[in-house]
Amino acid sequence: MPSAEAPSPFADLDRAAVARALSQMVDRPGDWADAYFERLEEVELPAGEAGPGLLARREEGLAVRLMRGGDVWLAARDGIGPDAFADALRHVARVLPSAATPTPSLAVAPWDGAAAAPEVLAFPSLVLRGVRRRRAAFPLALTVRRHRRWLQVVGSGKVVAEAQRECFYSVVAQTSRGRRGALFPGLGEVQAEELADDLVSAFRGRDATSPEAWRGPVILAPAAAAVLLHEAVAHALEADLLALGGDPEAAVGVSLGAAALNVLDDPATAPETVRRDSDDEGQPVRRRWLLRAGTVAEPLADARWSAGSELLAPGAARRGGRHDLPAPRSYHLELLPGELAAAALLAEADGGLFLPAAESGSLDPLSGVFRLHFAGGSRVRGGELAEPVGRCRLLGRVADLLAAVVGVGDEARPAGAGWCAKGGQKMPVWATAPALLLEGVEVTP
Amino acid sequence: MSRLAETLEALSRAGFSHAEAYAKRGRSRRLSVGVGGRSAAFHQEEGWAVRATTQRASLFYAASGAPRPDVAWPEADGYPLAFPDPDAAGAAAPWSEPSDFETPLVGESEGLRLLAAVAAALGDEMPTARLLSAVLEDGSSESRLLSSRGVEAHWRRRVAVFHAEAALGEVRARVDLARREARRFGPAELARLLADRLAAAAGGAPQGFSGRDRGELVLAPAVGAHLLAALTPYLVGAPAADLAAAVADRRGRFAAAAVTVVDDGRHPGGALESACDGEGLPTRRTLLVEAGVYRQPLLSWAETAAGVRPAVGGKSAARPGGCARRASWRDPPRPAPTHLYVVPDPALPAAALLADLARGYYLLDVTAPPRLDLAEGAFRVPVCGFAVHGGRAREAVSGVELCGTVGALLRGVQGVARDLAFFPLDGMMGAPTMRVGGLELRAAGR
Repeated sequence: MPSAEAPSPFADLDRAAVARALSQMVDRPGDWADAYFERLEEVELPAGEAGPGLLARREEGLAVRLMRGGDVWLAARDGIGPDAFADALRHVARVLPSAATPTPSLAVAPWDGAAAAPEVLAFPSLVLRGVRRRRAAFPLALTVRRHRRWLQVVGSGKVVAEAQRECFYSVVAQTSRGRRGALFPGLGEVQAEELADDLVSAFRGRDATSPEAWRGPVILAPAAAAVLLHEAVAHALEADLLALGGDPEAAVGVSLGAAALNVLDDPATAPETVRRDSDDEGQPVRRRWLLRAGTVAEPLADARWSAGSELLAPGAARRGGRHDLPAPRSYHLELLPGELAAAALLAEADGGLFLPAAESGSLDPLSGVFRLHFAGGSRVRGGELAEPVGRCRLLGRVADLLAAVVGVGDEARPAGAGWCAKGGQKMPVWATAPALLLEGVEVTP
Repeated sequence: MSRLAETLEALSRAGFSHAEAYAKRGRSRRLSVGVGGRSAAFHQEEGWAVRATTQRASLFYAASGAPRPDVAWPEADGYPLAFPDPDAAGAAAPWSEPSDFETPLVGESEGLRLLAAVAAALGDEMPTARLLSAVLEDGSSESRLLSSRGVEAHWRRRVAVFHAEAALGEVRARVDLARREARRFGPAELARLLADRLAAAAGGAPQGFSGRDRGELVLAPAVGAHLLAALTPYLVGAPAADLAAAVADRRGRFAAAAVTVVDDGRHPGGALESACDGEGLPTRRTLLVEAGVYRQPLLSWAETAAGVRPAVGGKSAARPGGCARRASWRDPPRPAPTHLYVVPDPALPAAALLADLARGYYLLDVTAPPRLDLAEGAFRVPVCGFAVHGGRAREAVSGVELCGTVGALLRGVQGVARDLAFFPLDGMMGAPTMRVGGLELRAAGR
């Protein structure tokens, strides 16, 4: 993946000088100041003929932040340079610095030539070939994007993080049945085959009717299980959302799901091109147990929510960009595999439903009501996948859904990453999960 | 020579036959209060973008900072792109820039005081309610555009938005509003909106509700605006006229006589009021539906030039709307509504629509976005409001969906009031209170 190997543009950034300048703002115990530098590139091959044939976006900028108690000040600029940095410092500082600090030079490497992504241009042909190979044909419009991001966080003293980089791809497939989106850490034959398989399955099930309102066994394939975990475990354990209902620390030790559920968030084991060793506040990431045998081990927290807490630890901060404030969010969820092989899962779910991928999910953090929408799936009969079923949704309270897990597949695989748009900050989330077997859950058309 | 002109020259030297260069600068202040504390952010944004075409291919390139003619342009791909002449959208009507474009952004203390006052006023309105979060954003921007076809434009914008979410036990309600500047928001008004929505959302299925009811309905502006937003496939873009024809009645009538729909990029006082659209062409008021008769969809200059059929069964020429919108400097312009609204009846107060409602529902807001089934011409939207008996609200109602066909909705409008209100959806969507028959309330999920 050569694009991910591009060197950091922040290699020559004088982090010490930035830290010294930030330290001028920190004049009370517990103050936290940091500077965030980012560079983004997006190359897009759009669908259709109405707009430009290729879109490329390149941007960079910085933000300076000061946290003091429950208050936060942020100043963000669309550009990186000494004047922009000094201006942002002035906006955020609460007092005039006691001594003048030389403005850092903030040398940033120039962009390396024109934006180009041949793998993006080649991808639609690969998908169409995959569809044809499956002896199917239907109108299909693909929008393919490559996303690259570099970031560097410098703190006023404690934070010394290395520059981070991410490279991944997003694809939106528009068919007469609707839109299907996918995220991939790489882009090539394997991903084209995966997408073609998904699209052809959806096409062949296009006339299937939605199941009647019903309770029974449901198998969530890894991609669907990943969305369930993201919505029902990760969001439910974000410190800022927990705080809507009370003290986030009170969640620790609460039994949230079946004992078969062991869930972690670990950005350091994400797919290689998006792997991280520090978060968007420059804090080292941790292999964080969210659920251990179904019981809450540790909520997701950032510097703001972990300040003064003995139970909440930072390292899970994410921000959509320099203009956004960081907030606790999962990055790469892992559901540890169980003991049920695929055949055993199907045998246990006789008469139930197999749901391969969720279109979307949502959680109401106050009521705990959770919704998961599916474009379709299959009935399970006699230990095998039988006739297709159409659109349906799974509805329930988080605790009830997670308690309904009666089996976990024995093969975890990278699955079901997607865009998360909490608080208007759209960002990718990744997952590694096996299939899940749920018993007695409510499915409605 | 300006940076934009230099950028156009550079593109010409690079072999592009036509191009357009756009630059935007803006400042905004964002203040928030929530369970985690308070925040104050100040943003300075600056970016630019070009669209360029050869005879065979085209590109869009956007970057942060000031325009740079010396960048390495990506290789164009796909299809050629057409650019408008300066008169592609017709002559511009006279327009003066509103004086409030000059007002300074809300100050940090001033904005935080407003948010604190909203929390206090909500406590007065509904002592058991909690303000979970409130955000106030106030911004101004300035854009310039130059094209090789002779379009040259400069325009400014001024807009403020307010978002808030409140809770009453497990019930939540949110309010999203946009005005031209932050000082036009009043804490008492905002608190009352939140309290009304919480009161409605705290209800359940109405007494004696068997899962379906076809009572008369009065839709508050928020419900009408969300429905209008869902109906944009029938009102915006080249395929809209055919879709509209499919839901018209046998006589070709699209909506009830009470319904007139307009899009107006120059709506006086509107949050997005501007002389120019995202391609630098003059904005205008475009009549889409007149007293129930479908006149034309909202079309870009390119769609009009391509000869899109303007009306249901009509043959008159459609007028281009000057309706290209850029979501930001990062995004290419696309045809989209600016202030799309149902024209109010200045003689009819909203209370008059409720007064003679013997039995029905006053629907205050949606609790999730509407779902439109274009193939079936049907919609459903979760709503909350009040059951009405003898013209008076009797009990709060939620957990229900408003359902029906698009035709029944449009032709079921019996009256529109004068209380036009806009909401920030895909553009500013506006509606007055409307009285509607022929639709159904169902228990959610049925």
